[in-house]
Amino acid sequence: MAAALVAHLGTVLAAEGDVPVWLLLLGPAGAVGVYVGLYQYYRNTGKSHSFERETRVTAQPVTGQERKVDEVKGTKKTSIDGANQGDHRERVQRLP
Amino acid sequence: MNRCPKCGATEIQLRPSVGMLVCLFCRHEWAEKRLDETIANGDLSRLRGTTVGSGATDIAADAGALITMKCGGCGAEVVVNTAEQMGSRCHWCRHVLTVNEQVPNGAVPDAVLPFSTTHAVAVAKIREFAGKRRLFADRTFVREFTPENVVGAYLPYMVVDGNVSADVAGFGEVQTRRYTRGTGNHKTTYYDADVYEVHRRIDFTVDDLTIEASSERAHMNSAVNTNNVINTILPFDTENAVKWNASYLTGFTSEKRDQDVAQMTPVLEHQLLSIARAQVEPSVQQYDRGVRWERERVQVHGTRWVAMYLPVWLYSYYHEKNGTAMVHYIAVNGRTGETMGSVPVSKPRLLAAALTVGTVVEGIVIAMMGAT
Repeated sequence: MAAALVAHLGTVLAAEGDVPVWLLLLGPAGAVGVYVGLYQYYRNTGKSHSFERETRVTAQPVTGQERKVDEVKGTKKTSIDGANQGDHRERVQRLP
Repeated sequence: MNRCPKCGATEIQLRPSVGMLVCLFCRHEWAEKRLDETIANGDLSRLRGTTVGSGATDIAADAGALITMKCGGCGAEVVVNTAEQMGSRCHWCRHVLTVNEQVPNGAVPDAVLPFSTTHAVAVAKIREFAGKRRLFADRTFVREFTPENVVGAYLPYMVVDGNVSADVAGFGEVQTRRYTRGTGNHKTTYYDADVYEVHRRIDFTVDDLTIEASSERAHMNSAVNTNNVINTILPFDTENAVKWNASYLTGFTSEKRDQDVAQMTPVLEHQLLSIARAQVEPSVQQYDRGVRWERERVQVHGTRWVAMYLPVWLYSYYHEKNGTAMVHYIAVNGRTGETMGSVPVSKPRLLAAALTVGTVVEGIVIAMMGAT
C-alpha cells in the first residue's frame, strides 16, 4: 500500500513540471524501508511454517472447466479486481 | 516402571547424538520401534473416516495434570505433574518412575521424535542467530543474553494424514489488447480483457501435516506473542518417530496436549484448503490478468491422527518495556537444527539508522536536482 501511495504521489508531482520532484520522496521511503526491513529481520513477525510447500502431497491431475462470460473494454487496471490466486491462505466463501 | 531390557535398571535416558536410549547403569543402548512399523500405513488414497491413534483420543474432562504413581521398587506413592514432565524419581528408593501407560489427560502421545541435536549444538545455533542481530537489539537483551539457558522441550503436535478433494471457483481474465492514449505527460495505458468463469477440482493426499496440539502454542498473534517462530521451524522428519517411551523425555521438559481432534479440525481444513489453492495455481497460468477465487469447498474423505511429541530447543527471554511484556523465543528444531527467533529491538537505534539512511538518500537526491 505504501508503494502504491508513493507511486501515486509520484505521478501527481511529476505532472507539475519537468523536474522529477517525486524523487524527493526517495528519502522518506528509504527511511521507512530500512526501519521495516531491520524490524522484520530481528522480530520475524511475518514468518510461519510453509506447509503448502513443505508437506508431502500426492495429487491427482487438476481437472476443471472454464467458459467466457464477459468482456472488459478500456480498463486502466493492470489485473483483475481482487486477484488472489497467489494468496493461498486467504479464505473465500466456503461451500458446504 | 521402565526398565533396561538387559539389566533391569531404571536409570535410562536419551543419547541425542545417536538417537538411542542408554542405560546409565550397564551402558546398554537400544531404541523403540519406529511408529511407521507398528501401525498400518497403507495407501493414503484409500483412507476413509476418522482414525485416531490411542494417544490422540479426546481428553477426559475430569482428568487433571497430576497423577499418582506407585513405585515398583518400594511401593511408595509419587506424584507427577504431567503438564511439565513425564517422570520422577522415587524419593525413597531412588528408582526412576515414568508415565508409560496412557492416561486420559492428553499427556501421553502415540509417538515421540527423539532429540538428535545436542545442547551444545543448540547453544551454538542460538548464539549464531542472535550474533547476527546484535547491533539493533535491545541493550538489556544483549547484556542478559545467556544461550546456555536453552531448554530442550517436547511440544505436543498432531500429525495428520488426509485423503481430500477440493473445489475452487471464481473468475479469471485474459488480456486481449493493450493500447495507449494521449500525448506527452498525459499518456494513459488501457487494457481490454476476456472474463472467464473458472472452476478447478483436485484430489490429493497429505502425509504428516503437523499441527500444534497445545492451545497456547497454537495461538499465534505476533502483536502479543512470538509463537509463530516455533511454528516456523516445522517440519520435522516425523516418519522417524518412535513408539512412545517416557524414557526419551528424561532430562527434558514436556508440554501436555490440551486440544482434541474436533477442536483442531478447522485448522486442518484451513491448511488443506490452502494446499489445494497452492496446487491449482499452476493450472490457471493462462489467466495473465489473474484469478479471483470466490468460492471453495473441501471434502475430507479420510484422516488419520497421531499424537506426537516433537523436540524443540527453546531459548526464551522475558522482555518488558513501557508496561507491555512479551516473551521472545529463539527456537531450534531438535532434529534438523533449523533456527528461528525473535530478538527484541532497540527502537531508538532503529530510528537512528532509518533517519540516517533517509537523510543520506535525500541529500543525494537534492544534490542531483541542484546539478540539473
